[in-house]
Amino acid sequence: MKEITIFIDGKELKAIENEYILNIARENGIFIPAICYLTRCSPTLACKLCMVEANGKRVYSCNAKAKEGMDIITTTPEIEEERRAILEVYDINHPLQCGVCDKSGECELQNYTLEMGVDVQHYHIADSKKEIEDWGHAKYDPYLCIMCERCVTVCKDMVGDAALKTTPRGTEALDKDWKDKIPKDAFSIWNRINKNIIGRVEENNRCEDCGECIAVCPVGALANSHFQYTSNAWELTKIPATCPHCSAGCLIDYEIKHTDIENSECKIYRVTNDWNYVTLCGAGRFGYENKNSTTKCEKDFLSAMDAFLRADTIRFSSFITNEEALILQRLKEKRGYKLINSDAYNFQKFLEDYSKTSGSSLYSGSKRDIHSSDLIFTIGGAMSNDNPNIRFALNNSGKLNKASIYYSHTYRDKIIQTLSKTTTEIVYKPLKEELVLLLLIDSIVEKSSIPEVISVYLESFKEKRVKTIQKEIKEKVLDEEGKEIEVAKKIDEEVEYVHNTILDELGLAQEFSDELKKDYSSKSSPILIAGSDLYSHKRAENIARLLGFIEKHSNFKVLLIPTSTNTLGVSLICDLDKEAGDYVIGYNDIGDYRLSSLGDGDLDMPALNQQEGTFTTIDKRVVPTNAALPYGGYELNDIAKELGVFSKETIRYTKMLPTKSGFVEALFDELPLEYTNGGVDNRGYELEAKSFEAQNAIDAADISSELEGDIVYKRDPISQFNEFTKSSKLLEAKDGIYCSLEFLEKRSLSSGDLVELEIGKESITHHVYVDDSMDGDIVALSTFQSRKLDHKIFGDGYRYVAAKIKKV
Amino acid sequence: MVNSKAKYVEVELEKYSLKPFDRFKRVMKRTFKGELFVGLGIVFREMVRFNIHTTQYPGEKLPISPRYRAIHELLRLLESGNERCIGCGLCEKICISKCIRMDTHLGEDGRKHISEYTINFGRCIFCGYCAEVCPELAIVHGPRYENSSEQRAHFGLKEDMLTPIDVFKKGAQKEYPGFGAPSPDADKRIKKTPLAY
Amino acid sequence: MSAYIIETIIKVVVVMLVFSALAGFITYLERKVLAFMQRRLGPMYVGPYGLLQVLADGIKLFTKEDIVPSNANRPIFMIAPVISAATAFIAMAAIPFFPEFDLFGHTVRPIISDINVGLLFVLSVGAIGMYGPLLAGMSSGNKWSLLGAARATVQLLSFEVVSGLAILAPLMVIGSLSLIDINNYQHGGIFDWLVWTQPVAFLLFIIAGYAELNRTPFDLLEHEAEVVAGFATEYSGMRWGMFFIGEYANMITLAFLSALIFFGGFNDLWFIPGGIAILLKVMFFIFLFLWVRAAWPHIRPDQLMWLCWKVLMPIALVNILITGIVVMI
Ligand code: SF4
Ligand code: SF4
Ligand code: SF4
Ligand code: SF4
Ligand code: SF4
Ligand code: FES
Repeated sequence: MKEITIFIDGKELKAIENEYILNIARENGIFIPAICYLTRCSPTLACKLCMVEANGKRVYSCNAKAKEGMDIITTTPEIEEERRAILEVYDINHPLQCGVCDKSGECELQNYTLEMGVDVQHYHIADSKKEIEDWGHAKYDPYLCIMCERCVTVCKDMVGDAALKTTPRGTEALDKDWKDKIPKDAFSIWNRINKNIIGRVEENNRCEDCGECIAVCPVGALANSHFQYTSNAWELTKIPATCPHCSAGCLIDYEIKHTDIENSECKIYRVTNDWNYVTLCGAGRFGYENKNSTTKCEKDFLSAMDAFLRADTIRFSSFITNEEALILQRLKEKRGYKLINSDAYNFQKFLEDYSKTSGSSLYSGSKRDIHSSDLIFTIGGAMSNDNPNIRFALNNSGKLNKASIYYSHTYRDKIIQTLSKTTTEIVYKPLKEELVLLLLIDSIVEKSSIPEVISVYLESFKEKRVKTIQKEIKEKVLDEEGKEIEVAKKIDEEVEYVHNTILDELGLAQEFSDELKKDYSSKSSPILIAGSDLYSHKRAENIARLLGFIEKHSNFKVLLIPTSTNTLGVSLICDLDKEAGDYVIGYNDIGDYRLSSLGDGDLDMPALNQQEGTFTTIDKRVVPTNAALPYGGYELNDIAKELGVFSKETIRYTKMLPTKSGFVEALFDELPLEYTNGGVDNRGYELEAKSFEAQNAIDAADISSELEGDIVYKRDPISQFNEFTKSSKLLEAKDGIYCSLEFLEKRSLSSGDLVELEIGKESITHHVYVDDSMDGDIVALSTFQSRKLDHKIFGDGYRYVAAKIKKV
Repeated sequence: MVNSKAKYVEVELEKYSLKPFDRFKRVMKRTFKGELFVGLGIVFREMVRFNIHTTQYPGEKLPISPRYRAIHELLRLLESGNERCIGCGLCEKICISKCIRMDTHLGEDGRKHISEYTINFGRCIFCGYCAEVCPELAIVHGPRYENSSEQRAHFGLKEDMLTPIDVFKKGAQKEYPGFGAPSPDADKRIKKTPLAY
Repeated sequence: MSAYIIETIIKVVVVMLVFSALAGFITYLERKVLAFMQRRLGPMYVGPYGLLQVLADGIKLFTKEDIVPSNANRPIFMIAPVISAATAFIAMAAIPFFPEFDLFGHTVRPIISDINVGLLFVLSVGAIGMYGPLLAGMSSGNKWSLLGAARATVQLLSFEVVSGLAILAPLMVIGSLSLIDINNYQHGGIFDWLVWTQPVAFLLFIIAGYAELNRTPFDLLEHEAEVVAGFATEYSGMRWGMFFIGEYANMITLAFLSALIFFGGFNDLWFIPGGIAILLKVMFFIFLFLWVRAAWPHIRPDQLMWLCWKVLMPIALVNILITGIVVMI
């Protein structure tokens, strides 16, 4: 990471060595035309527009690395001519349908065609007939496609599904004559365009309907089916906000406009993102339809007041802003309510224990660290499902940094296997998480820093064993002619070695430990990602301490994935209780009196896209979100005001968030909400971590208990998180039981069958579906559709339960 | 019809002198020349001649120029009778009074269709920009300038503006050479795309 | 006695009705004449040739909502138009409209009350009429009204002086203030008309009359381009109608006065009987009002004052002086 000086168009710039020239230019606000390059993905060199002259030589700036003292000129008359020719090539046979095209007004082809002044077409070729394809959320119009391959690249390098590919276009080959009449680069591009179009991978298509390919398409070739032809881009108002569905807290733009001529009320037409810096999952892009249209009904409000006067407990979910969490905390202080939020409670405890051994009030890792890391170890979470952005980041660093990924979980995830060339999956049984961490400690932490209890415990797994290995020895023998020659000979030899039964337990080879150690010592930025299986684990306390210990005594950064959107925020703001009282108010959660943003409770509350406020994201950032839609009813603040916790508006609480937990005194309206040109997340502010003396108070594992029978895992399908995403009709993933194909066959079930789950005294029936990415015997039960179900089956505890699965 | 021979005439104005004697002379001249009576004479003469120029609207109506910008019309394609408007939204964008609103949707045929198109004539200033910008010659100014109505919304809905299909079938849809039509030399000004095959 | 009272009441009623109706009819005439002079047709749609337009307007005026602005001084605002209309009609009390005639054997004198200071009465009642615009403007609570009222006061007061002085000269010649006497003085045919002996007085009187009546070219009180509708800005419906009727009644009064004082009144003219003669004369004066309005632009307030005090008044004084000298000789 050497800092160097380069010159672009005579401007002296500081940059990091080996950064791409295009990125440096963008960071410094210098414009270089470019279409095919996606920041954070590998350059494809498809458009060639980004050509510049570096030290007098023609290079492609999206692919050329900066070197000390480089002198770069972004445009010369020749380059301009060449770019113009390229644009003309792009315009060959491009239908003149800007008038109806969804992209018109924000189309890169349109922009560059005007920018380069193309008003005449010199080249021509007959086009072939192609079909417009319907890919669910996307419509692909091959006539409009300019083969920049951004869609393919993003799906491969960022999303990780590699669901798109190039396929033959079926046009006749170019006439050779053209070659002399047309600049070189333009000709090669024409050749490429003329040969290919985009198609879906047919077999095992893993597309998870994230819609990112739609977002990156520079032209109207990939159109959002739900948005198509409903509005022109320029009629929409962008409301920058933070996605409310998971803790990644992606920056999104709600694009709003009046519903139609008769109804002036605003409606969200689509969600867009700054795809160079942010990658959305399906929930972020298509899960915007939940809103609560309601008006103030005084009777309901009075009944809510009665309930609040009567209640002694408030149970709430983590799909809440920091400000409202603070209101609840204030209500607790004022009126002594018990605050119940199981996932934040568990996370709070976990973080506390973690801090004891790590010496820092917050974990050290962030999403950005995953993107730049070269060794990733994950434990205790279904990364693809729990937090798609973590999956994207794993994939991105696997593809771009060739990072080695160690994915430890209770079942194999077939998608994860494809993310990096060096992916190692570690499968452990539920309740055995501690073993994995201890193995990690054993492999990478200096022996001297491991406390004695642990080293003794670890030693107890090791036994000296003898194994026969084939050894090659050189032996001098006499050949037929009597000369002495050397021949290799294999002999069996018995050697003594240390056998580690933990590795057996985890189904790993004995060499694993050493390989991990070697890998670890060769990598500079390893990161350990912990998922939410751990927070509700009955050994959570020790697991947290182990994680803290690893953070303290190794190079690993540790990232704890907050369970849901604002779990981290709630755990830092609220003083939570374990046991509920007699009369419970449920705020977007179960209770005797229910406040609900879905409109199905006793009093309506605004949905998160109707609220202003801040979230605390996985990156330990406090990021603002804005209201995209109007809301006519009561909000929590109205209730708080009546109960004597007074502040004119909810967002005034932003400034009062507790500084002792790391929040900063900042006004909501002053919080920025953007990424810089250099791609740095500049939203809100980062929490301040407090550091203190770390203790080595870690314990040996307790792996005595085990789950009997079939094991059911609480896990939602990709892009479904909660009742809010459930209420968005555009999200299609169904609720139910997901299992691997082999499990299905073993039980002679077929996809769509109804099965009965018997869990303890409870029993539920649900449809069963195959999840291609799953492997093994564990089945996943979705709970996003109902908080009640979640509560009933899992009781806010460990994500695994033992069950009996029967066909009905 | 514009008379090409008509020229502007410059009126010679008398020099206005401020010298006291000149001013005195001017007062005298005005007083005794009886200019006031000239005026009386002229109006009396006109009354007696009874040369009346009134057009007795609404009994009589003057013909209007095709470039007259009255209430808009949405036209149909001459060949097929389909709506010309493709829903590109340029008129909506260019309208300086922001009085055009349109709803579009994806039609059964996979094309963009307008579900509803309205002009708020309470706000329209009849500038003609919408007609000028329309790439399809779909929205034009028609000749209907009588817009009193008991409903503000009248004339401004798609069904009011779109040529009714029966009128269209009778061949009664009028084309306007005026506002928004391509210039006579439009063909010459377009740079063509070679389609040599 | 009672017969006299009944007769007077009948006369009053007749005068009121006839002149109100006439006022309306004059508006029709005015619009038509102005239109013809401007090569237009004027009202055409209500009734044949728009004849019933007056009726339509009347219905409109009567049925319109009576709006009193919330900032207006209510009683004064309401009473001001009444002053205007009332004084206009009261002034007619001393005017002999026609020669005496017999009706069912009863000699009717077409004058409500022949007082010996008839002319003085007419002029003074007319002067009181000034309170109409003045109070209206001041009570409206509107700046245009106030400006209009100020203009009204200035204009009417000033020209009162001119008209008074102008008429002094013929009076000196005649030696009576009774309009009947004035009329009778000119009984000897066209050459007895005072206009021949007192042309300057006539000019001054008619100019001052136009100013007092607020007619073009002196219609400054309610000149739209400057003060909206002047003192009448806030008025609507019948209250506005009263100002209107007052103005037209005053026009008729002035036409009668001019005919009586300067043009031989209701004396027979050649073969024309007196009654018809005076009607013709009055009609001519009314036509003159309209004619002038069609032809001339209006003047500025400062020009108006200049005209009054620096031109007309000195001329009037000189005229009196000369007349005095002539009478003395
Ligand atoms: S993709 Fe761009 S250039 Fe092509 S029709 Fe659409 S808006 Fe126009
Ligand atoms: S929607 Fe997402 S997963 Fe599917 S093809 Fe597009 S980028 Fe790939
Ligand atoms: S579909 Fe869009 S993103 Fe993909 S290659 Fe074509 S133009 Fe590029
Ligand atoms: S005429 Fe002008 S103001 Fe009226 S709709 Fe068209 S663009 Fe808008
Ligand atoms: S500009 Fe023409 S084609 Fe486009 S939306 Fe308006 S009327 Fe329709
Ligand atoms: S952006 Fe560099 S080749 Fe396309």
